[in-house]
Amino acid sequence: MNRYRYEDLYVGMKETFSVTMRKDMLDAFRRLTGDPNPLHTDMLFAQAYGFNERVVYGMLTAAFLSTLGGGYIPGERCLIQSVEVKFLRPVFVGDTLEVCGIVEELHDSVRQVILRVEIHNQHGERVLRGRMKTGVLDERA
Amino acid sequence: MTRDQVYAELNKIFQDIFDDENISVHDTTTANDIEDWDSLEHINLVAAIENKFGIKFAMSEVNGMQNVGVMVDTILKRTV
Repeated sequence: MNRYRYEDLYVGMKETFSVTMRKDMLDAFRRLTGDPNPLHTDMLFAQAYGFNERVVYGMLTAAFLSTLGGGYIPGERCLIQSVEVKFLRPVFVGDTLEVCGIVEELHDSVRQVILRVEIHNQHGERVLRGRMKTGVLDERA
Repeated sequence: MTRDQVYAELNKIFQDIFDDENISVHDTTTANDIEDWDSLEHINLVAAIENKFGIKFAMSEVNGMQNVGVMVDTILKRTV
């Protein structure tokens, strides 16, 4: 886990990490959220709509933005304030995603960092884009 | 920049942040007058104002913004 202080951040700063989507992640997400939509739970249903595999929940993909903020940038002192995203392409089980955050704005007076966030699949296709605002806690701990 | 010009821009920012095109703020407007004006939206307001007017507030200035009038005074002081 990174431990950036607000003062360490600068516009253009970038952090990335990779994650491979597994079936058990979809199953766990279903258990947690109760979302039964068959596009995510039933391969035959997904295939009937032209997909080869179950489609990963968009909100599961977006959940890795929590990891981006809380683990990478700014890391330990992250306090996510808002996330706005667009789901551009479907994500499938087995896809390896690269999650990326780039500091776009810094507002010193309110210790807010605005990140441009993007997620690409292993083919280099952008599957998600958006903006995430986070506060950065002071160095109390 | 005149006070009226600041208010014209500020009203647009408030309307955008709070998704309400009927919002019109005045010197005496406070967070108590706008239902969704909580601490998080205050941060978003400050960031939007900084971007719009090309200024950076000090933390003490933000803490001192008890109403919109003070906010406008601070913006005018910084944009001279």
